[in-house]
Amino acid sequence: MAAADVRDMLDLPAEGQPRPHKKQKVVEKRPEGITRELFALLGERAPPIAINENRYKGRPKWQTKARVRPCARSDDLVLRHWQREPESTNIPAIEDTRAEGETKEQGEHKTADREYPFAKYNIKLKFSNRYTTDEYNRHLRSEDWSREETDYLMDLVEEYDLRWVVIADRYDFQPQRVDNTEETSSALVPSKQFRTMEQMKARYYFVAASMLALEHPPSEMSEAEFDLHERMMKFDPERERHRKELAALQLNRTADEVREETVLLEELKRITANEQEFVTERRELYSRLDVPISVSNATNYHNSQGLSHLLQTLLQADKSKKRRSILGPDGIAPTSGGQTPTIPNAPGSARDSSRADTPNGGTTQSTTTKKAAAAANREAAQQAIRTLTPAEEARYGVQHHDRLAPGVQFRSDRAQKLTQAKSHVQTQKLASALAELEVPLRLFMPTERVVKEFEKLIHSVNLLLDARKVAEKVESEIRVLEAAKEERERKAKELREKDKPEVKSEQQDNDVPIPPAPAPVAAGDASQTGQPAKTNEGQAELNGSSTTNNVADSEPSTQEQEGVSHKRSASVLSNGSDKSSKRQKK
Amino acid sequence: MNASVPPSAAEYGGDEVSAIVLDPGFSTTRAGFAGEDTPKSLVPTYYGKYSFEGQEKLIFGDDVFVTPRPSLSVGNPMGRDGVVEDWDMAEKLWEYSFTSRLTGAKPSNPLHNGLNDLVEGELPTEMEGVETNEKPLADSPLLMSECSWNPTKAREKTIEIAMEKWGTPAFYLARNGVLASFAAGKASALVVDIGASNISVTPVHDGMVLKRGVQHSPLGGDYISSQIRALFKTNTPQPITITPHYLISSKTAVEAGQPPQAKYKTFPPEKAPDASYRSLLEERTLTEFKECVVQVWPGPTKLSAPGPNGVPNEEMARSTPGRPFEFPDGYNQVFGVDRYRVVESLFDAKATILDPDSQFPAPTPAQTIPELIKAALNGVDVDLRPHLLANVVVTGASSLLYGFTDRLNQELMQLYPGPRVRISAPGNTSERRFSSWIGGSILASLGTFHQMWISKKEFDEHGPNIVEKRCK
Repeated sequence: MAAADVRDMLDLPAEGQPRPHKKQKVVEKRPEGITRELFALLGERAPPIAINENRYKGRPKWQTKARVRPCARSDDLVLRHWQREPESTNIPAIEDTRAEGETKEQGEHKTADREYPFAKYNIKLKFSNRYTTDEYNRHLRSEDWSREETDYLMDLVEEYDLRWVVIADRYDFQPQRVDNTEETSSALVPSKQFRTMEQMKARYYFVAASMLALEHPPSEMSEAEFDLHERMMKFDPERERHRKELAALQLNRTADEVREETVLLEELKRITANEQEFVTERRELYSRLDVPISVSNATNYHNSQGLSHLLQTLLQADKSKKRRSILGPDGIAPTSGGQTPTIPNAPGSARDSSRADTPNGGTTQSTTTKKAAAAANREAAQQAIRTLTPAEEARYGVQHHDRLAPGVQFRSDRAQKLTQAKSHVQTQKLASALAELEVPLRLFMPTERVVKEFEKLIHSVNLLLDARKVAEKVESEIRVLEAAKEERERKAKELREKDKPEVKSEQQDNDVPIPPAPAPVAAGDASQTGQPAKTNEGQAELNGSSTTNNVADSEPSTQEQEGVSHKRSASVLSNGSDKSSKRQKK
Repeated sequence: MNASVPPSAAEYGGDEVSAIVLDPGFSTTRAGFAGEDTPKSLVPTYYGKYSFEGQEKLIFGDDVFVTPRPSLSVGNPMGRDGVVEDWDMAEKLWEYSFTSRLTGAKPSNPLHNGLNDLVEGELPTEMEGVETNEKPLADSPLLMSECSWNPTKAREKTIEIAMEKWGTPAFYLARNGVLASFAAGKASALVVDIGASNISVTPVHDGMVLKRGVQHSPLGGDYISSQIRALFKTNTPQPITITPHYLISSKTAVEAGQPPQAKYKTFPPEKAPDASYRSLLEERTLTEFKECVVQVWPGPTKLSAPGPNGVPNEEMARSTPGRPFEFPDGYNQVFGVDRYRVVESLFDAKATILDPDSQFPAPTPAQTIPELIKAALNGVDVDLRPHLLANVVVTGASSLLYGFTDRLNQELMQLYPGPRVRISAPGNTSERRFSSWIGGSILASLGTFHQMWISKKEFDEHGPNIVEKRCK
């Protein structure tokens, strides 16, 4: 089927309509450097990045010979420099200087345009002004150096740009250069002197510094100039010579000496590494011992400033802790660590005798030599191996446990748990008791010892609370029984008074006095807790048993009633005032 | 980097002025354009002289070795100490070295060659500048190298030749030690140059030779040749005589150690070349021997000393497999420990193979390489020594002896156990052989160097003594 038939069928316009798509493709020109196949793959859209960037553009064309005069020269040497041909080729390739007639202007214009690119590297040191004869005679005279030789030295220094190695190497002053014509004087000419580099330097520095000082008196010099002046004036040839001798000795060591030195260096490295390790270990220990971390090297405390700073920090630490340590042994324990540095000579504290960061320990360490430090090091290493005495165990906080609960637990959590009793009321009571003792509910410093003491405290508070509960119960029972007894006595009186007819009412009366009791029971229940003793059965049982025992001991006659209202009676008394418990505690 | 983009002038620093670098040595003379990596023109410094039909003729270049002309004598303008002795011949030879390959032959006299003949009706052109154009180097500045102990007279003579005879517009004379250190990319170095006639140790600081440290001794390649000759004389199965190729007409292969079976050429006395020709060609054979067989005992101790595990080093050397060498006449032999012995005296004066006929007196201990280096270092400031030891540059064709740098390294480490010793010896043979030329090539193509040239004008003003002032 021909295309024309299809068009016909689809009612499309006849051929002749340009097909824009195809035409575009024709318009797109394949850039050079891309193969046809690759270009076909690219499709219609040109890639965003030009691919044919780094193409070899052919050999660079060098202009045969252009004449450029190196501006760095004093004379007019003209050399033929090879240069790249500029892109536009309308500039004449060769400028002939000899036939300059018509191109002269152009040529001049060009050379003026083009500074010789390497001229900027042609630099020379700047030297201070040379002395005049007058200046020399007044300021620079020397026993050792003649004027001629000084001149020669200054020339040489300038020539070799202060390269002293070269100057000393080329130094060859002929003293009799001037007087050579006279036979008589040549006999008197001093023998040629060998000058060392130090002598030359000393002389030159002296001359240069003097000239500098003549130019500006030292008071008017700029800082750089003054520095220079100072340094030149302070040059000590003797010391320099000595230094060079030592350097030569060092250079000419034998192989054995070199080996020994490397071994020693190795040893030194090892020792310092050990020391470092020791210091870090000790620092870790101290941080664990809860000591304010201090710099372990004592050099900071050598001057008074450092010492006062140390005192300041210690006082600060002290102050912050004082608030916590009003009462109790647990308050003192944490502060003792902070206080030790202020009383360094206290013999009781084993810790500060070996501590390097206390002022005392610091000074002793500073006076000891490196060897001593190394020895201490070794000792420390031995200490780490040997078993600790109980005192040391206490010092480092080493503990031995029979059985450890798995996982990590915090002492502070443990202390927190202690303050939480099983019942809310109990907890409140504990809290109020602690508040009364001015012990914070949450421990500030839950160290081992503090927590232990806290535990004890909580335990005794609980005991006392229990005791108070029992006491109140017993009291109320006594009251009830006393009331009953009164009643009985009253009735007996009445009986005695009325005799027989009153026997009937006795039973009525017996019922009557009991009702007052349930009322307080209800009140006590409401006040105590929403959840009755069911939740803390153990405690209740314990309480119950203790109360029963107590009651049994004190008042065996109340046994029958006890059975009826055991719990009730306890609760009756429980809403009694805190006064009783307070009294007990005191 | 793209090759078609020129490097920016600042980082590249090159500025070509088509300078010619000429590095004359005792054995070869190197010449080439600055900026290239090897000299284009490498000619032997030996020249041939013979008379033909009553006229004296000279042969330069490799042609010297080729034809045994009647009464051909071979000469060398250089003295054994590296200073020019025969200035006339040196000038001719040097001129040959750059005209043969680089600048082209000297044009004939323009007054007579017909090119300048006046055409009818034309005014005569200016002939003033023409004179300079006739000279072979009129277009090119010339950088020449010299040994560090070159006397002032020789330096002045050199600049006179360059300026007056060759007409160079600019000239510079550089020490070959400095150039070698430049070729190694160092401004400060201790250059150990093992040449043909000399070994020299040159301390270089900031591109300047430290004259008091410069040391040299004659234990160069020719001395090693004399040691090999002495060895051949005392060879055990039979003494070996070196017969150069030009005397052999045919040879047959023989077993190792068997006497050679060859037909020799004979020259009638009036047609025979001079003895110097024969010794030059024998030297070529010996060079081949040095390249193929000779080996430097690697150390760390001397060849005569006991080795590290108690076995004498000689025994150790004997146990290594030998190297065979066949002489031009077909005689061949495997060389065992002897190949170490011929060069051992460069490091150990006692190990010299004595030979009463040799032109070289037995070396003194002070002439050995370690002692030279020691003396050179003692001649410079103590602060500089460790730096120099860390920058030891080894150059010269004779330093290509197998194992030379290893041994030198060992010797220096023993001599100076403290400071770090570092030897910089290019592995590329041409870099080792031509390092002072390469340094000159680098130097003369630097843009910053062009201020250093001594121009013709300056020479005219100040006379030849300017070379002392400028080329320090």
